Amino acid sequence: MAPSAPQVVVTGLGTVNALAGSVSEFVAALRAGTCGIGPVTVFDSTGYRSRIAAEVRPADADAPAGVASALRRRLSRSDVFALRATAEALADAGLAGAVPRERIGLAIGGTTGGMLRGEESLRERIQGTRDQYPSASVLGAPISASADVLADAFDLAGPRLSLSTACSSSANALGAALDWISLGRADVVVTGGTESLCRMTFAGFNALHALSLAPCRPFDRERSGLSLGEGAAILVVESAEHAARRGARVHAELLSYGNSADAHHLTAPHPEGTGAALAMRRALARAGLAPEDIDYINAHGTGTPLNDTVEAMAITAVFGEAAARLAVSSTKGAVGHTLGAAGAIEALATILALRDGFLPPTVNLTDPDPTCAFDLVPRDSRSATLRYALSNSYGFGGNNTSVVLGRA
Amino acid sequence: MTDPQDLKQRLKELLITGLRLQEVAPAGIADDQPIFVEGLGLDSIDALELVVLIEEHFGIAIPDEEVGKKAFASINALAEFIAAEQSRGA
Repeated sequence: MAPSAPQVVVTGLGTVNALAGSVSEFVAALRAGTCGIGPVTVFDSTGYRSRIAAEVRPADADAPAGVASALRRRLSRSDVFALRATAEALADAGLAGAVPRERIGLAIGGTTGGMLRGEESLRERIQGTRDQYPSASVLGAPISASADVLADAFDLAGPRLSLSTACSSSANALGAALDWISLGRADVVVTGGTESLCRMTFAGFNALHALSLAPCRPFDRERSGLSLGEGAAILVVESAEHAARRGARVHAELLSYGNSADAHHLTAPHPEGTGAALAMRRALARAGLAPEDIDYINAHGTGTPLNDTVEAMAITAVFGEAAARLAVSSTKGAVGHTLGAAGAIEALATILALRDGFLPPTVNLTDPDPTCAFDLVPRDSRSATLRYALSNSYGFGGNNTSVVLGRA
Repeated sequence: MTDPQDLKQRLKELLITGLRLQEVAPAGIADDQPIFVEGLGLDSIDALELVVLIEEHFGIAIPDEEVGKKAFASINALAEFIAAEQSRGA
């Protein structure tokens, strides 16, 4: 990192996920070790091998008040989650009127956009109940739609980026936000990710036999697959100087990110975790930190046999002796794997751990995999004073990103 | 020749189902209420869908924005436009 690069901080937080319709609810659920995984209700799951997921509760899935009626009718489920999380994050940051609209950027990750609604329209057409394909299904379909909706709803006129790198999408969005602040392209960036359940991902992961029949158990000896989830998390980031000047509350520091590509396989990680290790090493190097400076890793930890084995190998390779004093946990036993939103939701969990001094547990973990030479924080959260933490995100196709966060 | 009241009722139902106005009932749309922006809150994308709906259901084309603006001013205007087009074709 160039010596002149400004310190970047997080001043606003917002989320919607299976456990929470707000950040305060999310903290309480993480501390309590609650599992949000249950039967699928957003579509008919008859005939699928696994029929569970971590769904957002109905009360948190309605469009927020104040959205114009024409826009409201076209919102996808992903858009609604993003709107709710952004409204909370902007209010938390106290941004209203504090920064010119052209200086507020927007970097949002996702992988399926309005797929769920498109599937419903296609089904109506195939079944002959409707022969016109409604514009809402088309307009809400692209992955870029959520960022467009947010910019429109909150009048954000700075640089805008929608990005999709599978399950590391929103971790990379945070990285883009950090770079924009570092380069002076924006004074504030609203960043994160959003994802809704849909038949395409549910059927696809089922077909791959990647879904667990019971709620997922990351890093458990008996783990048998992941559980899908949905939701959004949004962070407001700005330079420390900018935050201080406007008297904003700082939740945590966003120090760096590192990414890499496996260039190895469509779905499987590299068997030795070299790409995952490289992303962690790059993130540490840019932050100017040594492995022993890290107290906690919020792992990708999907609960598939392969991911957790390879991620543990990569952590051991990077941390060596320092791994023995590391705490490593996965939030996916609690909120499921939220794909394009996972990087942001898990960065949020990491920020809350740093800010409030606790280790989020690996929910559903009863028999820790003995090949993991570090504390996996099974089931119960614990109080802990943390200085620096990593949040790992790995996507299909070998998209690896690690984000470094620090206590304010 | 369709009864004007029946035609207006049919147009209201078409608006609601065709454009998915879930929070609106036919009785909640006044005959002289503006359809776009401040009235029912429809926008330019809805206008494109409405053009297709009118063509599919009545076989009447709306060739340009000028015609569309007049025809889509209200339920009254749309019913008059359709009746005029139908009598012209008859």
